[in-house]
Amino acid sequence: MGLLEPKVVLMLAAALFSAGLYGVLSRRNMIMILMSLELMLNAVNVSLVAYSRYWAGQGADLLGSHSGQFFTLMVMAVAAAEVGIGLAIIVAIFRRKHTADADAASDLKN
Amino acid sequence: MEVLFVISSLVSVVGAIILLTQRNAVYALLGLLIAFFGSAGIFRSLDAPFIAVSQILIYAGALAVMFLFVLMFTDTRTQLDSGPPPGAVGARPNYKPGEDRKAGEKLIRFNPLDHILLPQPLAAVIAIAFLLCTGYAIFMLPERYNTFGDLPAGYDSALFTAGAADSGSRLLPFGGTDAVSKTIFEGFPLAFEVVSLLIFAAVLGAVLLARRHLAGIPGTQDVARAEGQEPQEKPQAETGHKGHH
Repeated sequence: MGLLEPKVVLMLAAALFSAGLYGVLSRRNMIMILMSLELMLNAVNVSLVAYSRYWAGQGADLLGSHSGQFFTLMVMAVAAAEVGIGLAIIVAIFRRKHTADADAASDLKN
Repeated sequence: MEVLFVISSLVSVVGAIILLTQRNAVYALLGLLIAFFGSAGIFRSLDAPFIAVSQILIYAGALAVMFLFVLMFTDTRTQLDSGPPPGAVGARPNYKPGEDRKAGEKLIRFNPLDHILLPQPLAAVIAIAFLLCTGYAIFMLPERYNTFGDLPAGYDSALFTAGAADSGSRLLPFGGTDAVSKTIFEGFPLAFEVVSLLIFAAVLGAVLLARRHLAGIPGTQDVARAEGQEPQEKPQAETGHKGHH
């Protein structure tokens, strides 16, 4: 029983994901919420790469064993796009409200 | 590889803890960077060197710089970030460095706990419940998930099968640039094109959202009006001025 095995890596990914979830739920600064979201996406990447390595060990062909890494690249691209849009929205809100508190963006309330 | 995995996972977890506990957003960003580098080490130990390099280039390079830009630009890094909202029962005062100095009598009162966030009970319960559920699911995985197995020597560049190459075709190692690019361009070319379109749209949207008002261009905000008239009455503006918007 070594430490580098699928269940251990998946458990680590789940721990990182939970940490990011806690950050998203507990922070009030929108920038910090985005950072915690990045940690969650990163945890998903860890589990995807673990599955990719697992299927390589099971004897899958090139496409089957590398599709996990391909999805990791897709997640990275989507995360980059999401952070770009999210930070632009935060800058726009900060211009109006002079705060990055997530509770400040309540113009549609009432 | 196992040593690298253990060290990287420890680094990653420590970075996540720094991200969650630091009140100052720049320190929290440093924790996120540490977690990203740890994840890159994990990718390398899982025989995915291309993904590891991409992780450092994209996350630790581009995303962290973008976060740092916005942190400096909006200057929210010392605003109260967590805890009960200001004015609620038991609310702590806003964290402002140098405030004690202004108060006078307590000149050197450095409390390290002021820089660390107290845990939020409800969020912690939700996160731990999620961790327990996923941990149970991982624990119940079948026996064959107990080992990664051995890597094949490589992949045939023409037939994409694992194992030795035929005559006339090359042997692509697992996780290398050539194997990953074969996967992208021969396995999922449509998804690759779609994601490039997505990034293009995101760049355009970010520019449109973040720039100042330009006359005649819809979608850009009227910053001149917002900054010229509203700053003084902003705290009360939520309840009183619904007719304007």
